Amino acid sequence: MKDIFFDLSVRSVRLNFLRSLLASIGIVIGVVAISSMGMLGTNMQLIVKDQLTTGINTIAITPDVVRAEPGASVSSNTGITDIQLREIRDAAGINEVIPIDRTNTQFSIGSNDGRGSIYGLDPADIKNIMNVSEGSTIRGEGEAIVGATIANRFNLKIGTRIKIGEPNISVTRPVVRVVGILSSVGLSSSNGINSDNAIIVSDTWYSNQFGGENVYDQVNVNLKDVSTLTEVENAIDKKVNRNKEVVRISDSSSRITSVSSTLSSLTTFILAIGSISLLVAATSIFNVMMMSVSERVQEIGILLSIGTEKGEIRRMFLYEAFILGIIGAVIGGIMSVIIGYSVVSAMIGNTSYFFLPESLVYIPAGMLIGMIVCIVSGLYPAWRASNMDPIDALRNE
Amino acid sequence: MNGTPLIRLANVSKVYPLESGDFTALNHISLDISEGEFVALMGPSGSGKSTMMNQLGILDVPTTGEIYVAGKNIASMTNLERTHMRRDVIGYVFQKFYLIPLLSAYENVEYPLILKYKKRDTTGRAAAVLKSVGFDQEMSAHRPNQLSGGQQQRVAIARALVNDPKIILCDEPTGNLDRKTGFQIMDILVGLHKEGKTVILVTHDPKIAEYAHRTIQLEDGKVVES
Repeated sequence: MKDIFFDLSVRSVRLNFLRSLLASIGIVIGVVAISSMGMLGTNMQLIVKDQLTTGINTIAITPDVVRAEPGASVSSNTGITDIQLREIRDAAGINEVIPIDRTNTQFSIGSNDGRGSIYGLDPADIKNIMNVSEGSTIRGEGEAIVGATIANRFNLKIGTRIKIGEPNISVTRPVVRVVGILSSVGLSSSNGINSDNAIIVSDTWYSNQFGGENVYDQVNVNLKDVSTLTEVENAIDKKVNRNKEVVRISDSSSRITSVSSTLSSLTTFILAIGSISLLVAATSIFNVMMMSVSERVQEIGILLSIGTEKGEIRRMFLYEAFILGIIGAVIGGIMSVIIGYSVVSAMIGNTSYFFLPESLVYIPAGMLIGMIVCIVSGLYPAWRASNMDPIDALRNE
Repeated sequence: MNGTPLIRLANVSKVYPLESGDFTALNHISLDISEGEFVALMGPSGSGKSTMMNQLGILDVPTTGEIYVAGKNIASMTNLERTHMRRDVIGYVFQKFYLIPLLSAYENVEYPLILKYKKRDTTGRAAAVLKSVGFDQEMSAHRPNQLSGGQQQRVAIARALVNDPKIILCDEPTGNLDRKTGFQIMDILVGLHKEGKTVILVTHDPKIAEYAHRTIQLEDGKVVES
């Protein structure tokens, strides 16, 4: 059915084309603001989340704090054993398992003394998980690669020799030769090793110096797919901690949760700014609708006096608001794609997430909000029109 | 035409509260109008003609007294019932035509049909009524501002007639027209009366009032001659 009240509204919009267009532009701006801001926030969130997940794909397994029964002696062997390592490998499946030896010790470079962490790692693993920025990776005994901070502090070069261990006149300290320097990782270490302040040596050299062969201080599991985190953790826990807690399993997934929540409140904030423009648009729609009502008082009087129901008058004006809203929302929706894309590419520099549903959903959402704002702004003018006294309205010139 | 009149005013008063004191526009008026009458309502300005017109047209309710139209008490009706009564029982013809500017002549006439049946007219009723007042299809496509005064009033009459009302209420229908056109409009109204409509005509022009069979003279809100 073609509704005559809809026809009347269309004609009123057409008759006051410029005025209606200006009001619609308000909605266009509002819709564009809401959807591009929303998309900007979401894209930012998606990108940061993705960057973060590359850092949280590591599960660190460390020996549990040893607690001895009263009277019993505390075992000196507090590491992860070879048997446990094998169990971890079984449980970890396809994921990379990296046993790590670690200790804190003093070292000397020339006449300078320092203190830092020494890691013993399988040279094959070093190649996989460390990012050497200068020199090469460890190939043999007596070779070391050093972290960026330590290299900088002691002015280490490729070939520099480091004496490891406490200075002791009666013992000759072992010496390693620097073959590589790692790039700086800061806190965003993606492999669970804070390598900036570390000296990394091969596992065999480490065991020779510090003992503890077949016992490890920490085992890292690098996940291929971060979404399997809990699954793998549970599998390891079930396998290794069968009878009692012997290892502690930890990850940094709590970090991503807190960063995500920060970002999502940031998105809300950006959206709130976008909403202000819709508020302005609402005012302009309200204004246009009020003008439309007051210009058509006599017409409303005619409609009422010849038997138009109040509800029909209301409908006529709500249609008008609806038409303005549709025009604004459709134009706004189209422009949101263009402007949103430009904003995301200009401010984030990465549009690879733009066309994901999480991001694009802001366009229909913005359009819907624009429409709702329009209709809500039309409610009062429509109500006012329908509640006029026909006699007074007719007399209005 | 049996005992009950089509319109009955029983002791009707209309008082407008003003800052300078209440203004009594209608003062205890009682009168009956039977079905098929052609009544002229006359009186100088300020005599209460317009107020009376609004009461008869169910656009307003009296302050005291009762009005019955087609046997129903106006005061006891809901707003919606009064709206439907205006749509179905009364046809309005105004001095200034009061066509809807956004609609064509045809759509103006079709409009009350849509109000009543909630759908567009497919029966040809609107076109037929327009034809009876001398409008062909081509002229019916024009908007009111493209029509002369006489043409607009014909459209207004067609609009008043389209829902086949019992009462045609005309407020100075010739007031904005030249004499010749005015008489043509009056001829249409006479024809309607002959077809059995009850025609009520508000005018201050005695020449126009002559067309009616009964004249009600108002002065200071009272009926001085009926």
